Amino acid sequence: MTRSLLGLFLRAFVVLTGTALATFTLLWNAPGDPALAIAMARFDAVVPADVIDLVRAEAGLDAGFWAAFRGWVVPLISGNFGNSSVTGRPVWPDLASATSYTVPLALAGLAIGLAISIPLAVLATRHPGSWLDRFAVGIASLGAAIPAYWLGLLLILLFAVKLAWLPAMGATTPSHVILPALTLGLGVAAALTRIIRSGILEARGQPFMPALKRRGISEHALAREHVGPHAAIPVITVFGLELAFLLEGAVMVEVIFGRPGLGSFLVGAIEARDFPKVQGVVILAALLFVGINLVIDVIYRLIDPRMGTQNA
Amino acid sequence: MRSVGFLVSALVALAVLGPMLAPHDPTAINIAARLSPPSGEWWLGTDAFGRDILSRLLHGARWSLGLAFVISLIGLIIGTVAGLTAALGGKAVDWAVMRVTDSFLAFPELVAAVVIAGILGGGINSLILALSLTSWMRYARVARGVGLSLRTRGYVVQAKLAGLSPLAIARWHYLPSLLPSLIVVWTGMFARAILGISALGFLGFGVQPPMAEWGTMLLDARIHMRAAPLLMIWPGLAVVACVLAINLVGDVLRDALAEKDSPQ
Repeated sequence: MTRSLLGLFLRAFVVLTGTALATFTLLWNAPGDPALAIAMARFDAVVPADVIDLVRAEAGLDAGFWAAFRGWVVPLISGNFGNSSVTGRPVWPDLASATSYTVPLALAGLAIGLAISIPLAVLATRHPGSWLDRFAVGIASLGAAIPAYWLGLLLILLFAVKLAWLPAMGATTPSHVILPALTLGLGVAAALTRIIRSGILEARGQPFMPALKRRGISEHALAREHVGPHAAIPVITVFGLELAFLLEGAVMVEVIFGRPGLGSFLVGAIEARDFPKVQGVVILAALLFVGINLVIDVIYRLIDPRMGTQNA
Repeated sequence: MRSVGFLVSALVALAVLGPMLAPHDPTAINIAARLSPPSGEWWLGTDAFGRDILSRLLHGARWSLGLAFVISLIGLIIGTVAGLTAALGGKAVDWAVMRVTDSFLAFPELVAAVVIAGILGGGINSLILALSLTSWMRYARVARGVGLSLRTRGYVVQAKLAGLSPLAIARWHYLPSLLPSLIVVWTGMFARAILGISALGFLGFGVQPPMAEWGTMLLDARIHMRAAPLLMIWPGLAVVACVLAINLVGDVLRDALAEKDSPQ
């Protein structure tokens, strides 16, 4: 167990280092002179060449790739995300505020997704092949094909423009989270319904199920004690993938609904070519993602004793 | 299988013939006819510049389907090469290749694509680069998995003893058994590429205006949501219809593959 946990941490470390290096390489080789971009953003006018050189030296851009990379990563380890190249202000406070909008949105989306998919999958598998089952699978396939940004626009059209029930743009009141969360949640529900459904069906097909039934164990106890945990394993695996979906979805959904979260932060930083901000949001996303997947891997090993023994 | 053939030919026809069937020039601006409702002249209406929506949709099909084809093919090639290298290259190579694959998988693909396409600047080339760099990992996993399972098969061992090079073994003994699984992964990635292209277009990091692409059309339509809500419906429907069709093809192929494999 300790050995496989150590392996997991090593893997997380390799992934984070790789992400940092890849991001930095991309930005370092981005088209255009970053020093010129910084100078233009700061002085908002035609900038003389010696000022550009000054900016270059100040931003550490003249020191070469590895020196610049160290100049970013070493402070990062102690939690210093550097300063915005446009405003000169520290990146972290803005990044933290953006995160405080994205995390509730993602959690609400996940909650809606689970609240729809679990009952739907349980109902569908009661009679496999029935019209209800086919309806659930059909809805899930349709849901998987609908892009989050279009669904979001349709919801705005219906609930904000036509019915005027809910606010669409911004994040000033709690009710502003409803439409974005619904957009995310419906997408999550579409993906999870299929997985939970096949998880339950697979659990029912296990050879120990008829044996338990013949021993007189009630349907109810069977579902709770045996089908549930068995079906939970693939669901937990997919949870990590769903997380990617939530993050991706949050990016699109926040842009559509004008929510000042990580998605809007990222798109705004790219458009302003504010590279320290782009690096910050990428690293934070990688950290969140790797961290949560690490937790999932550990939970996985706790639930399923078969895992982690053979090939970790 | 017949329905699969029909769907595939319909999609190919849409991508190839679509632009030829367009009744109008997709970029011709006609301010007098701006935001026209559907009519005999403009079957699906016009946008804020008076451009014909149907013609723009049909031209957009070439971007969405054509680019998705190219992107998923590049991903297929990178992924298969990486996966087979891992399977055939020995323990150290396998470890290294799979850690790189994990690193790429560990990051939300669309977010990575947004960063790459956004930093490199909008345009077709950075779009292709951004989406293919973030879509090869699943092929690599499948190729490696099948490759490892074949390593101890009699004919592979025989080929190795006969002195065939790893490249030849990969080409003649691994690739044919690998192809069906890769094609199933490919259909999924094709659908994802369509979603990715329109997502990047919608964010303004993809195909650039005035060229007609479904994502950029949605971006334009969003501003006129109140005046012309139908503008927003058409491009979204086009994306959903294509993705749904491709996913159906993938499901049928996967079931056919599972059936073929099960009796053995």
